[in-house]
Amino acid sequence: MTIKPGDFVMPGDILHDLDNIKGITLIGPGLRQNTEPNSLIVSRAGFLCHKPANIYWIETAHKRYIPKKGDLVVGIVVKKSGDTLKVDIGGAELASLSLLAFEGATKKQKPDLLVGDAVYAKLLSAHREMEPELVCIDKYYKAGNLGPLSSDGFIITVLPSLVYRLLNIEHPLLRSLGKKFPFEIAIGMNGKIWFNSKSVKDTVTLMNCLFAAEQQSDKDIYELCKQ
Amino acid sequence: MQDKKTKLSKAILDMKFMKKTKERVQKEEEDAEGQTMYANEITEEMRKSGNIVFMETSICSCKSLMEGRLSFGGMNPDIENYMAIKYSPKLEEIEKQMGTDVSDAEMAKGYSTLVNTMAKKFTDKKKRHVNS
Repeated sequence: MTIKPGDFVMPGDILHDLDNIKGITLIGPGLRQNTEPNSLIVSRAGFLCHKPANIYWIETAHKRYIPKKGDLVVGIVVKKSGDTLKVDIGGAELASLSLLAFEGATKKQKPDLLVGDAVYAKLLSAHREMEPELVCIDKYYKAGNLGPLSSDGFIITVLPSLVYRLLNIEHPLLRSLGKKFPFEIAIGMNGKIWFNSKSVKDTVTLMNCLFAAEQQSDKDIYELCKQ
Repeated sequence: MQDKKTKLSKAILDMKFMKKTKERVQKEEEDAEGQTMYANEITEEMRKSGNIVFMETSICSCKSLMEGRLSFGGMNPDIENYMAIKYSPKLEEIEKQMGTDVSDAEMAKGYSTLVNTMAKKFTDKKKRHVNS
């Protein structure tokens, strides 16, 4: 029996006949390289997804965040020691963030970050055996949209599935809320969402919307946003 | 073959100015060692077809998710400038696609009104007056 994209798969299932571009196949979460060449072994129960031409991953309902290289996350500083910060990103281990990894930071002039502050950062490295490492600059040493988040904001933790839905550019929830009142938001892949608006009322509304969206199906949200 | 290739003696390689050559020779030796070590593990099939290289990526690139730092209604102008570069072009593209999707439904609606107008044409003039 062959497994097709869209099928429900269990850990231990083996995938053959994979599409590749010039011998390269990209694999997302839930898949691992099998010992046998040219095949993959499933490591999480869920639905197999395939995006042409060469990307495979498993879609599961999970709550735990597993740090992955390149993810943009929202973290909270929990410890400050010398030049490095320890940041809670919701993973198994605290991530380290160098104070020099900010735009324009030098040995003498470091950003003023305290314990309890929130940052929006990118995961530079994430290995099973090592602590994850964060940076707030891109490869050109520019901050872009990364960096410390204002302490006026509010942080909530939601399911990763909601994050994936919100970050789909077709999803209308944030845009329709943006038409109602001004706000800014930082959605981390780790399920932490930081947001800030001009009044407390708007912030609470936003929080309630996000918690409600967690439970509702996409179809209902699309319908509501159309109104 | 190996006999033909001149080998530098250890004493010469240890000399100060031979540092680079020494490194190169050592690397060559290591490479040769590695090749012989794995030679028996590479099967004929692997050599023939060439293997697929698997690269791990995060779910962001799998589902082509956008960056999660957004601002609406002029809350943070810096972020909105940034969004104008990265977010808006994608959004426009999506809206264009969505536009074609919606037109299917509109088409159906349009057709139903067309049916009505055609029906009107075939009704009697007196009845049409009553209807309108």
